[in-house]
Amino acid sequence: MQELVSTISLGSIYLLFALGLSLTWGTIDILNFAHGAIFMFSTFTAYLVLGHIQLPLVAVILIGIVVGAVLSLLIQVLAFEPILKRARTKRSAEMQILIGGIGIATIPLAIAEEQTKSNPFGLTGSTFSVNVWHLGSVRITNIAVLTIIVGLLLWGATALWFRRSKQGLALRSIGVDSEVSSLMGINRRQLALVTMAVSGGMAGLAGILFTASLGAITPESGDILLIKAFAIIILGGVGSMVGVAFGAFALAFVETLVLTHTSGSWTDAVAFGLIFLVLLARPAGLFGRKEVRRA
Amino acid sequence: MTDWYFANLVLIQATLTGLVMALSVQVPLRMGVFSFAGVGSYGVGAYAAALLVIHMQMPALAAIGLAMLLTAVIGLLLGLVIARLAGLYLAMATVAFDLIIGVVATNGGTFTGGSTGLYGVLSDFTMPMMFILTLIVLGLVILSEHGKVGRRVHAVRDDQQLAASAGINVRRYRLAAFVASGALGGLAGAMNVMVRSTIGPLDIGFGLIVLALTMIIVGGAMSWKGAVMGAIIFTWLPTLLEFVGKWQTLLYGIIVATAAVLLPRGIHGVFVDLTRWWQRRRREPVAPPPAETAPEPDLEPLMTGPTSGTASSTSLLGGTA
Amino acid sequence: MSSVQPTESATPVQAAVGTPVLELRDVAVHFGGVKAVDGISLALQPGLIYGIIGPNGSGKTTLIGAITRLTGLTRGDLLFDGESYVSAPPSRLVDLGVARTFQTVRLLPDLDVARNIQVGADARGGRGATDGPAARESVGARLKGLVSGGSAPSPAVAAAIARTGLEGFERHYPDELSYGTQRRIEIARAMAMNPRLLLLDEPTAGMNQAERAEISALMRDMRSEGGLCQLLVEHDVQMMIDTCDYVFAMNTGRLIAEGEPREVVQNPLVQEAYLGRKFREHA
Repeated sequence: MQELVSTISLGSIYLLFALGLSLTWGTIDILNFAHGAIFMFSTFTAYLVLGHIQLPLVAVILIGIVVGAVLSLLIQVLAFEPILKRARTKRSAEMQILIGGIGIATIPLAIAEEQTKSNPFGLTGSTFSVNVWHLGSVRITNIAVLTIIVGLLLWGATALWFRRSKQGLALRSIGVDSEVSSLMGINRRQLALVTMAVSGGMAGLAGILFTASLGAITPESGDILLIKAFAIIILGGVGSMVGVAFGAFALAFVETLVLTHTSGSWTDAVAFGLIFLVLLARPAGLFGRKEVRRA
Repeated sequence: MTDWYFANLVLIQATLTGLVMALSVQVPLRMGVFSFAGVGSYGVGAYAAALLVIHMQMPALAAIGLAMLLTAVIGLLLGLVIARLAGLYLAMATVAFDLIIGVVATNGGTFTGGSTGLYGVLSDFTMPMMFILTLIVLGLVILSEHGKVGRRVHAVRDDQQLAASAGINVRRYRLAAFVASGALGGLAGAMNVMVRSTIGPLDIGFGLIVLALTMIIVGGAMSWKGAVMGAIIFTWLPTLLEFVGKWQTLLYGIIVATAAVLLPRGIHGVFVDLTRWWQRRRREPVAPPPAETAPEPDLEPLMTGPTSGTASSTSLLGGTA
Repeated sequence: MSSVQPTESATPVQAAVGTPVLELRDVAVHFGGVKAVDGISLALQPGLIYGIIGPNGSGKTTLIGAITRLTGLTRGDLLFDGESYVSAPPSRLVDLGVARTFQTVRLLPDLDVARNIQVGADARGGRGATDGPAARESVGARLKGLVSGGSAPSPAVAAAIARTGLEGFERHYPDELSYGTQRRIEIARAMAMNPRLLLLDEPTAGMNQAERAEISALMRDMRSEGGLCQLLVEHDVQMMIDTCDYVFAMNTGRLIAEGEPREVVQNPLVQEAYLGRKFREHA
């Protein structure tokens, strides 16, 4: 039973993080490999701010969201848009954005590493403190509850937006100016910017909640989480909101299982193995609709 | 000269290893096969060679040869299984493969030395051997960029349907990319373990993938020259940047990010573009594209019969019947 | 360019005998519920220019895809020189002696004109032998390739360049050249494969009348040598009449008429296929 609670809270964190990645990948075809760096750097900024003034959790979360959104927008405008403009084919654009994201991610990483000497950093200095509640034989923290609620709410909201924006985009692409697309009242570029900002904001939010749950993260935390998010999205299927939720909790479930039954060093391998197996057996994922094979 | 050589021996060795590893990523990339499995092969090759030397006291060249064979076969198997994936997904599958190798190495108990890895890999490996091996594989890669194979690689990368219609067995080329990538990666790893005498999981993780990737991004994926430039730059850059002090990694990151965004084909690509631009300037201009000639409508009216077309045909044919 | 010949419309096609270069027997290509090609049989004799005409969506390009094995058959047989090749992979086509051009210009952007054409000539070298992975090519051949990489084009390429009037463009890159020139490079590349059957998929799309006439003249010129059979897929009726000896008319995946161009074009079924479409468009 305790394991179930652990799975759900871990899964919610994964879901929050993977949502942003899945959103941009599913709507505007951008697989942003700087997502992990945004996640980490938003928290890092909050950590820096908390070094000067004490703030309640709400304010810290706000900082995380804003920093994440701004970073994401910057990356979109300064890097991804130029790449898309100059790329020759769709396939080369995909790869260039992937590589560009990896390249850009080194910058926040370098800054954070330099400042913290690769030591863990947390949100001490916030007025927030972890409370542990007991429900019967089960322990659960207040932050875990918050994460679960926020995670599920955001997932629902994102799923709704996702469907509307896809509808809008689809209708536009066949030239129909429907009520949906005109209600949105925005063109493709604006949609991309908004999507990236939202995705970045979610990464920042995930970072704060994640750090509050775990106590601390390192500058490298974003990288490993990124790979896991990729595994989640691949398992669930690109472009599927149901898929990303399923993937997040499935991964959390298997990882918790592996953790409790073996030594901890294999847990990360679950994600890697998952990526490989899914791409081998069913590359489109369980609920996905994108074409993944060449031939 | 020799003073400089011995003072910088470690860096020179790192450059050679880095070059071969960069080639293991560049060769498939040039063919449009987005495989990073070369990095995983590096790990397998290093561990395999180390184990052969430690447990069987095998001479260096034999150990390296066997390690390369192993990684080439693994490359082939990998290729058979995932070659049909589209670019991005193929890349991720190979990255997953690389990371799995790292986890296996960490969890291999005493056999792989666990998280500390293997030590005391002492062999008869010499620097002349290292240079010669590197030059041989570099030469083979250079050859593959010229002549018939070089041209065909362009077709395999840019247009597979065209390649098929020109008699190219695309699948075979792609598989060859996996095999070559495996062999090259294995060679790099094996050579490295010979000169460093140790190998551990920390040497072969995500960081190595990023390093290989940055060498290729900045150097250029289209040619062996890119791999050479990338290997040299990123082996020697840390030393050169020492004067920058604590913001070294940041500068490093900025360089990589800038190259990734602005120079999709790396420094080598810039050279190629400049060369072509220069050649174009020195030539007489060609006939301008036909802005003044508008395409004819697709469907001609049939109602009035074929003679309707005669009126619009130019005198080039001297009039049709 | 070689001298222009007047259109011959009275070639005795029916009199040609012997094994057809290409034969299709009841070929069908179905994609799920869509019958792109639905039971087509035809035979092509060497030394002639054939045409396939039909409105958009009639299945012409699918048929070419089927003939070149890029698309699988749902039903039927494909024979080259009397032998079935229906299960051969697309890369085998060149060995048989089939070359094609594509609807869209497909030149390799990183190779100059001579090298692009050389890609075609490379294919003929493997006639009878299969192309193995890079490692199997002999060192001698590769050294030679290395040496000749930057020098004058090979004889096959030079011949193809001369045929298509591309002299002087050898070192240019495709993106510097006009659309019509790019089309000619494609044809040169196909010719460098030394084919016995040349498939041209809408080679004059987007060209003006003068350029069309040049392509037509080139094709009739090529017919005169050594039994080359050409199959032209076209929209433009005048091009069809000027160039082809024999025409097949397609609509909705079937042959609705065949024969000499002028007859086919005046066939009521064919006119209705075109007229009906235009009628619906303007309704």
